[in-house]
Order: sequence, then C-alpha cells, then structure tokens
Amino acid sequence: MMFRKSNASRQIARRMRDRLAGTALVLLAASFGGTAVVDLAHAEGNTIVFAVESDFSRLDPHASRTWNTFKVVRHIFETFVEEDLTKGGSETPAIVPALAESWDVSEDGKSYTFHLRKGVQFHDGTPWNAEAAKFNMDRMTDKNFEFHQPVSPGLMGWMWQDLAGYEVVDENTFEINLKQPNAEFLRRMAAGGSGAPRMISPTAVKTHGNDNVEQHPVGTGPFKFVERVVGEKLVIARNDDYWNEARKPKADQIVLRGIPEVATRELALVGGEVDVIGTPSPDSLEFLKQQGMQIISGDSPMLYVMWINTKDPHFKDAKVRKAMCMAINREDMAKYQRKGLARPSYGVLNFGGPGYDPGYKDCEYDPEGAKKLLAEAGYPDGFTTRMDWTFGAGADVNTKGDAEWLQRDFEKVGIKASIEMFDNNTFWEMMSKGMRDGTGLTSASWGESTFAWLDQVLAAGALPPNCCNSGYYSNPKIDELLSAARGAASSEEMDKKLHEIRDIIAGDMAFTSYYTAMSTYAARPEVKGFVLAPQHWFDLTSITKQ
Amino acid sequence: MSIIAFIGTRMLYAVPVLLGVTVIVFLSLQLIPGDIALTLLGRMATQAQLEALRLDLGLDRPLLVQYAGWLLDLFRGDIGNSISQQLPVTQILGPKIVNSLILMAGSLALVLAAGFLLSVASAPRFRTFADRAVVALTLVLASLPVFWLGIVLLYFFGFKWKLFPISGMYNMVDPGGLGQLLHHMVLPAITTAASSIAVVTRVTRSRMIDVLGQPYVLAARARGLSRRQIVLRHAVRNTLPTFANIGGLQIGYLFGSVIFTEIIFNWPGVGLLLFDAIMQRDVPVIQGCVLVVAIVFVLGNMVSDVIVHALDPRKR
Repeated sequence: MMFRKSNASRQIARRMRDRLAGTALVLLAASFGGTAVVDLAHAEGNTIVFAVESDFSRLDPHASRTWNTFKVVRHIFETFVEEDLTKGGSETPAIVPALAESWDVSEDGKSYTFHLRKGVQFHDGTPWNAEAAKFNMDRMTDKNFEFHQPVSPGLMGWMWQDLAGYEVVDENTFEINLKQPNAEFLRRMAAGGSGAPRMISPTAVKTHGNDNVEQHPVGTGPFKFVERVVGEKLVIARNDDYWNEARKPKADQIVLRGIPEVATRELALVGGEVDVIGTPSPDSLEFLKQQGMQIISGDSPMLYVMWINTKDPHFKDAKVRKAMCMAINREDMAKYQRKGLARPSYGVLNFGGPGYDPGYKDCEYDPEGAKKLLAEAGYPDGFTTRMDWTFGAGADVNTKGDAEWLQRDFEKVGIKASIEMFDNNTFWEMMSKGMRDGTGLTSASWGESTFAWLDQVLAAGALPPNCCNSGYYSNPKIDELLSAARGAASSEEMDKKLHEIRDIIAGDMAFTSYYTAMSTYAARPEVKGFVLAPQHWFDLTSITKQ
Repeated sequence: MSIIAFIGTRMLYAVPVLLGVTVIVFLSLQLIPGDIALTLLGRMATQAQLEALRLDLGLDRPLLVQYAGWLLDLFRGDIGNSISQQLPVTQILGPKIVNSLILMAGSLALVLAAGFLLSVASAPRFRTFADRAVVALTLVLASLPVFWLGIVLLYFFGFKWKLFPISGMYNMVDPGGLGQLLHHMVLPAITTAASSIAVVTRVTRSRMIDVLGQPYVLAARARGLSRRQIVLRHAVRNTLPTFANIGGLQIGYLFGSVIFTEIIFNWPGVGLLLFDAIMQRDVPVIQGCVLVVAIVFVLGNMVSDVIVHALDPRKR
C-alpha cells in the first residue's frame, strides 16, 4: 500500500522537500564553518611550503636514509667540507670548505688534516671544535663508544671502508687517516642518503640520549630544526647566527611536507597551498605552465641502469647481450617517453659522476645489426624472456611506461619480453637474491656524484646474496680496477681507471643504461632563487618568495 | 538480557576475533618478502652485522615463542619502535588514530543524515519519479571508486571553484581552529561517505517500504492518522533498528575507506601513515595500523549491535 496518488502525500512530500532543503543548507553552512574563502599559504611572511614525494626518514644524520631525507639533513647538519649547490647548472659541484677552513693532504694521500673553522657554534651553543669532531667520528665508527649509533657502520661502509684512524691534534685541528688513498674522499664526505658523515651537537646527544636526539636534531647548518609531526610536516627556520653570510637563508622558514599522490601535489601547488613541488607528472607540465607555474628542471646523476642476467641461457652469450643494447632507441625514449626531461645515456658512468664523457656510447642504436647478432648467436627468430621491473620511489616517474617502451624496442628485433612490476622494497629484496630463473633483464635508477655505487653493482662483493650485482657478473679485473680507482692519487688517474671499467663492462655488456633523468620541480610564480645543481638534493638557502 | 550483559557477551565474542587478527598481523611480518634485519641496517650491512641484529631481535627463536612475546608486549601497549623514525609506534599512531576518527565521524554523520533523508524521501513514494531518482543516485554513488571521486571533487571544488582546500587538515602556515578543520574535511568526508550513503539508503528504503506495507500501517490509516504521522511515527520508528544496524556497520567500513581518502587528500591519519610505512617497509608501523583498523572494525560492529539491541524492545 502506497500513497502514490493522494493529495495528502503530496503535501507531506512538499514539507519533506522543504525540510530536506533546509537541512542541507544547515549542513552546508556548518561545513563552511565561517571560512568560506580558501586561505592561501602566502598568509605569512617568507615561509616556503615545499612538498616532496614522500615523508622523511630519521633525522639522526648517522642513521638517516634516503636521498629525500638528506635534502633536509644537509641543511641542519654540516661537515668539514660541502658541495657547492648554490650555483646550479650542469657542472659537477665544487667541493668547498665548510666546518674546516682548509685542509692538508699528506703526500701518500692517506692522511687528511682539517683546520677547523673557529667561532662556529652548534644551534644549542655548543662550540664546534676537534673534540666535537672526535665525538662524531666515535659515534659513527667506534662500536665501544657510549653514544655509538649502531646502524651507522652498516649504512656508511661507502664512507669509512678505508678508515685507519683519527685524532685530535689540537683544539682546532683534526686528522683522519686512511688505509689507502681515496681520490673521492672529500666528495663522499659531502654526500649522504645512506647515513651522512655530518656533525651533530655532542651536548644534544648527551642530553637527549642516542635514540631521542633525532627528535631534537642540532647541527651547525644554515637552518635550525623547529618542529616535526611525522607524516604531516617538518619545519626548519633560518639560523640567524649562521657563520657563512653568503649562505644565510633568504626565507624565514621552510615547511616540508610529503604528499605521495602526484595529482594532489599538483593541485595543492596550483591552489596555492604549497609553493614548490617535487616531480610533477610529465603529462601535467603543460597544464601547470598554463596555470602560470614555473617548471624548474636540472641535470641529475639519476641514471637508469639495466642489468642483464649473465646466467640466463639466452643471455649467456655476449652477442645476445650486445644485441639488447643495440635494440634500444635511447634518443626517442628520452624525447617522447620522458618528454625531453631526460638525456639518453650509455654505459655505466653517469652524468655528474666521475669519468663521465658525454660523447661516449657503449653501442649504437641498430636494430638490423642486433637481429644479425641474434642470428649469429643461434636465435634468428628471437626468443621469449622476462623483465622484472620496479615502480620505483621518490623521483621515479612512470617506470612501467619505460618498461613498455623497451618491450616494443626488443620486439622489433624479435625478442618477446613479458613485464612484471614490483613495489620498490620487494624489488630490492629480489635484487639481493639475484635475478630469478627466466628473468633476463631488470632495471632501476641509481647513479651518484661519486662512484661509490659501482662497488655495489659491478663488484664481486655485491654478488647475491649481497646487493646488487643481480645479473651474476663476475670479473676479478673489475674489482681490482675499482680499488685502484678509489686509491688513485689524482682525479685524472681515477677517471682513467673508471674508463677502463666502463669499457670492460661494455665489452662484456653485463650492464647498460638508457637514460639519465632530469630532476623536475614546479613552483608558484612568486617563488624565486630555487636552483638545481646536478645532484639528488639541493640547496634551500637561496629560495625565497616575492 | 540486560543491556550490560549483552555488551559483556558481545565483548567476549570480540576476543577470539581480535586474537585471530593478532595472529594474522604477526604472521604478515613473517610472510611478506623481505629481511627485517636488512631493512634495518641497509644494503651495505655485512653478514655478521645482520646475524647479530637477528639474534638481538629474537628472529632466530621459534615462531610460537616470538608470537607469545609479541602478544605480551602488545597487551602492555608496546608494538615496538618505528624503523624509519625510531619512535615508539604508539606515539606516532596515537594522533593519527584521532585524525582518522575525526574524518570517519564526519563521514558517518554525512552517511546517516543523507541515508535517512533519502530513505524518507523515497520509500513513501515508491515507484514515483522522486523514488526512482533516489535509486538512480544510489546506483551512481555506489559505483564511484574513492580514488576517482576524490580527484574529481578536488579538481572541481578545490581547484576550479576554489571552494575547499586541497590537502591536509589545517593550513600549513597559519593553522586555525574548528572552522578550518571542518572546511578541510568536507571533500574527504563526501568522498569517503559516497558508497556508504548508497548502501544505507538502499537497505533503509527497502525496509521502510516493507514497513509501509504492514497491516498496522493500513490500520493506522483507517483510524485517520495523517500520512505525515504515519511516516514519522510508525514507518520511521519501525525502520530505525535496520537503519541503526546498517549505519553502525559503516563505522568499520568507513574507517577502512578513509585509508584511500587520506592518501588523495593528504589527510594525516592512519591511512597515510600506513601508506608511508608500506613504502618504507616499516613493519612495526604497518602492524600497528592494521591492528587499529581491525579493532575499530570489530568495535564498530559491536556498537551497531548494541544500538540495535537497545532500540528494539522485542529483543530485551
């Protein structure tokens, strides 16, 4: 029984309707709560809201991880030397004095004497001197030290593997001794991402304890830590007492946020809730420009390496591996797949790293030649294989699209490759186990301003179950050369050794690469002074808003 | 059965369910690919360092012993320390639970209000245009995936018309009070509520149609009660247990859905934390988040049962 046609029901309906509308209005009014206009981020002075791709890891420099976290760590903490990232451009950043005013290197290249900058204080007023340096060295490397950071040795092998000892010479002189010379020692010192050899206030560590000090990070850097709400924001403010006038921050305060969803990041920028965002989607660049946003891009050492499984029955033959290299149309890939925000890359030495030569190619794009090589190797009709790929993290963009691009290129020479995608953690787990049976190719972004990472990719010590020589490539000559390159007395000699490594790898074709990504940021029109140097991180001292 | 005894029994029922959840959460740590020691120490750790840490974490002990120890810690409110932040998980999780509950409460209010109004507007006019329109609307709402609806709402209401903020709970530079929070909550709450509104409306509406077909409604009409009185006094009153039941069931569901909403709107709750934790393979945090979602689910269902029990005199 329903009231379909009665007049009374219509009356009820009318009243209901009125009430519905009334309630809806009340709800709507309540939800606006009196702030009907969106308040923009520019409400207050010179505060920059900076949105990156994910939240940060630990702020204890000796335990911090990820390049993303180092973007913050390098502004709170400093070390003897620094990379000069204030100029931007494509040149490898210069190593400049920081907490050391100058330094001497012994003739055999094994001993570094740092003359410390006088009058520098940590943010809590603790003086910076040789004792503070020793405290930090102990914390990183001495397992018996009261305030030793236990994860530091595991994270920082790349920095301290050649360490022989260190000592306080006098109040303002500190000496570090190495077992063998290391041509990259100072450059590695300025780097981070897997631990960072930076100086934390000994007072802060003693006051807050080893585990809690990262809630109160105190360094000597241009920015002071203000506040952190995990998963929400991290606030740093200008250090007004900073020793280096040239690098005194222009902004009062920087609020850093992790916004993992790229569409939200972009809309938050356009809507004015944030001032700068990291890694907009290449497909959104036109949209962002139309909205008046600035697109800021710069060279980066971020190289997409491809591992080839030298144990796989098909890829055992170096001819087949060479054919894979020749099948990739790198120029088109950089131009169309990455919309020009990448440079084609060849071989294992990355842009911005030591020994990089822009003219070098480990192979030419030549699908016909590749087919011929495959026929010679006994595969005139090609074969089937599998690509294990990662969705990546941070600044990786559409790696699945890259895999599909390569898949098409390989198909043109007769090789049918299936693609399997993995989340980044699972992927690296698999990498340390070595490539699975049936997987011929795998790829990830790497590349650094030092060649420390090659030890983890090319060397015998990185063979499974260690990471990440996942294609089972083993060549004692490479290990010898890596060690020799590290111990080289001059950078020319180091480059020569690295070129030898590059050429042997190209000859065996155990690895190749396909492009170097550019770092891309988008900023609101009023943001000024944000520069990018070829590095995974940047300098925030010059950024400001007008 | 008195209401207190009823709640007591319900809570007892919840115990085995929650224990089951702890088993699964604990096992997830064992089952997901990946070496915890390696995650903690980084790719450059040596085998000796890894072994030492495994020993330290008790990863070499039998699974059952590990589980018992873990459960005991859990009862003490200790889920361990976050790997990526070196803070107790409970300390990170606490404020995030509150943030998620705020969003969930906002969504639930929307669901209940919209579900009730749409049912009352449609059921008494079964098969009229208004009724069909409501049915069509619920079909649309139920078919909108959260991640799509969220982005579309963001685009139009946040970006194009600039009516609502796009991300977070408060303005980052100038955090405000309740007004600002509510303003930030509108879009995520609508996004989360959409499919639940459809479910609640559909179930409540069909129950009300049943009620309106009952002999006592005919009798009420015969006694000359107005339509309005019939709907509001009899139909609504008799639909209420169903409404409360299906509405209460949404508590757990909404809390699960806010996970997606939070990522889209960058709402700093359990969902966003879970996402970050998964990306950083922060296992203790992942476990904490899953436990919280499961507990809210179980408690939500319990609350719904209790309300139904209290509303329905026949069950007392």
